[in-house]
Amino acid sequence: MSDATLVDLQRRRAFRAPTNEAPWLRVLLTLGVVGVLALLLFAPLIVVFVDALAQGAGAALASLANPDAESAIWLTLTVTAIVLPLNAAFGIAAAWAITKFDFRGKAFLITLIDLPFSVSPVVAGLCLVLLFGSNSLIGGWLVASGYPIIFALPGIVLATLFVTFPFVARELIPVMIEQGRAEEEAALTLGAGGWRVFFTVTLPNIRWALLYGVLLCNARAMGEFGAVAVVSGKIRGQTATMPITIEMLYNEYLSVAAFSMAALLALLALVTLTLKTLLEWRYADQLAANHRH
Amino acid sequence: MHIQIDEISKEFGSTAALTPVTLGIPSGALAALLGPSGSGKTTLLRILGGLEFPSSGRVLFDGQDATGLSVQERRAGFVFQSYALFRHMTVFENIAYGLRARPRVSRPADAEITRRVTKLLDLIQLPQIGTRYPSQLSGGQRQRVALARALAIEPRMLLLDEPFGALDARVRKELRQGLREIHDNTGLTTVFVTHDQEEAMELADLVVVMSMGRIEQVGRPADIRARPKTDFVREFISV
Amino acid sequence: MSRALLHPSPMPGFGLAMGVTLTMLSLVVILPIGALLWKGAAFGPLEVWRVINTERSFAALFLSFRVALLAALFNLVFGCLLAWVLVRYRFPGRRLIDAAVDLPFALPTAVAGIALTALYAPNGAIGSLARELGMKIAYTETGILIALIFVGLPFVTRTVQPVIEEIEKEVEEASATLGATRAYTLRRVVVPMLAPAALTGFALALARSVGEYGSVIFIAGNIPLVTEIAPLLIVIRLEEFDYNGAAAIGIAMLFISFSMLLAINAVQIWSRRRIGYV
Ligand SMILES: Nc1ncnc2c1ncn2[C@@H]1O[C@H](COP(=O)(O)OP(=O)(O)OP(=O)(O)O)[C@@H](O)[C@H]1O
Ligand SMILES: [Mg+2]
Repeated sequence: MSDATLVDLQRRRAFRAPTNEAPWLRVLLTLGVVGVLALLLFAPLIVVFVDALAQGAGAALASLANPDAESAIWLTLTVTAIVLPLNAAFGIAAAWAITKFDFRGKAFLITLIDLPFSVSPVVAGLCLVLLFGSNSLIGGWLVASGYPIIFALPGIVLATLFVTFPFVARELIPVMIEQGRAEEEAALTLGAGGWRVFFTVTLPNIRWALLYGVLLCNARAMGEFGAVAVVSGKIRGQTATMPITIEMLYNEYLSVAAFSMAALLALLALVTLTLKTLLEWRYADQLAANHRH
Repeated sequence: MHIQIDEISKEFGSTAALTPVTLGIPSGALAALLGPSGSGKTTLLRILGGLEFPSSGRVLFDGQDATGLSVQERRAGFVFQSYALFRHMTVFENIAYGLRARPRVSRPADAEITRRVTKLLDLIQLPQIGTRYPSQLSGGQRQRVALARALAIEPRMLLLDEPFGALDARVRKELRQGLREIHDNTGLTTVFVTHDQEEAMELADLVVVMSMGRIEQVGRPADIRARPKTDFVREFISV
Repeated sequence: MSRALLHPSPMPGFGLAMGVTLTMLSLVVILPIGALLWKGAAFGPLEVWRVINTERSFAALFLSFRVALLAALFNLVFGCLLAWVLVRYRFPGRRLIDAAVDLPFALPTAVAGIALTALYAPNGAIGSLARELGMKIAYTETGILIALIFVGLPFVTRTVQPVIEEIEKEVEEASATLGATRAYTLRRVVVPMLAPAALTGFALALARSVGEYGSVIFIAGNIPLVTEIAPLLIVIRLEEFDYNGAAAIGIAMLFISFSMLLAINAVQIWSRRRIGYV
């Protein structure tokens, strides 16, 4: 090797693009970050499955086949099946009103829609108890007429609606702002009616964002704990959802049963994350800008 | 400062951006790197500025090997095509940045910084805009602020990547004249990149015509016009 | 913008869309929150203050806020570092980790709660290691801190990540050509550019952590005055049918939430004014 090339090589090693950190710092940062995530994210996830299978898969499955467990799963599915369409309908309506029209108080309306994100789920539950509980005005009357809300399905649905309220609207609004109104206006000039414009122009444009929002909404709806804990009354076999059942089993030291149900919800979370990531990779251009990585 | 480029080549993976090029730019010259898109102009300029490292070859400043100098040590006033102004800082702070970034021993006092920034704002003929943010400026104003920011560090040379690329025709003409004046006043060796042959011919003392990572011809505008060395040069300057 | 309530538009469906929006909003959000505020008004601000000012309520509120603040601060720093590593560095498994950052959003809080407890309890995998070192994590304030860090982990990362992606390379290069060291560039150019997004994420994480219940109650130990968080005290008061007591604490927490929302909006307005973008 000639002297000139040797010098070149040494220089090149010394050179670092001015927008890079030193290699040792990169390695240190990467390892540090991954280490913290391992302790905080991955380890708990693994523990759920390890503890669920502590006495073998048979015991885990048996605990899920118990009638109370089955009723909890069934209740959670029912609540979610009610909440998702309502939330999607609300999200579409809100996004339509906010992005297709200009009116006063729009910013305030958006703030109100976002409000549930910053209210504690327990406070949300408390609000519902104060409004619909049997010793409130409305609640007393409803209980007397045979339609109790608190400690019953409607309360759980309302609580879940509250905590998942902004999910779909939040996904749709930025996407619909970005897409503008030109396509809808074009369709209108071609003589299409309102519903036709929505179904043939708007919906195809927002379907992936809608799916994305519903996906997140679903994960939260099936997993909501604090708000439901307050309004459900935790009646075993009747108003105990899956997360509530996890708490009851855990407090009774039925570790395998608690973790088996937790594993079921953790699987759901993993499926949610996978679908969400796939959507982000595949349809990045049709999702809100902050999901594009 | 005399700039000597000595057998420099640069590869990005398998694409060769510069096949060995050699070029001397005399002290105080105003040189234009002229060529079509992808010919390696930006790559050469970035190597001079220390933002890119050549695969082989050397860069000499006033006869001294500068190839290994870091970008900070080179003290090249660099004006980016996008201007790259700091948008969270006022124009004043943008221009003062290089002075404030110096280590404590060589950092001027606040009063001195203010004096120098004010002088630069006068030089670019925008004395009133110190308190504005870049988002509140026109394209031409941004370009001049970027130039003032580069001048603030008392650079040893001035490197500009398509300084007028993003501007409309009228503003281009105006600013061309401004660059010429600043060059003549400071006497800085200046290299700017352009793919507009009219701009290169009108403004530069020395035109470097590049194509596909090679230097096709180096010369004064009149010489290149009168005696194009290759077919490529003839074609390129005739459009 | 003119002062018209609604600008005329050729687009159809305003009545229906707005009707659905306002009906749902009223039923699900405004009426219930109104009920709490109404309760507070009927109860009287002095009474509310008297309840909050008892030792136990105050301790619970202070604990929730203090630990949430610590967790959010941790997440502010860690979230920025994580976002930086995910955007700027390439390493095996990066995409997997990027996807996993959202786990706290997807994993039910009760599941996170029992899993973290199992892990950090004195007989758990990490807890037993900590015990050898003479530390106790679960059933102490540290345990609460870990749960709240978990819950708020994605917020800062997800708000900061797109901003890092949009920083032009030239801006950092410009700083270097002006003589700035890498550290100076990070401090004076990169950090200020990330600040508005990072603060927004911080406020979101804080709001979420202050009110968090599910992931905390398992790991907290729930000893009154020591490790009893405010939401738990609300639940306890409700179980005692002490609606006034529950409402008073609820109003205090609502007040914290509202302040946080205002803070987020203020940060965004401030940054938009100054820099011309959010
Ligand atoms: N960072 C990089 N990575 C890979 N290839 C690059 C990089 N920078 C430049 N190139 C390649 O090197 C060649 C020269 O690019 P360069 O930017 O120097 O051209 P240019 O003359 O400035 O063109 P333009 O007028 O379009 O700016 C091109 O083929 C380009 O694709
Ligand atoms: Mg270029």
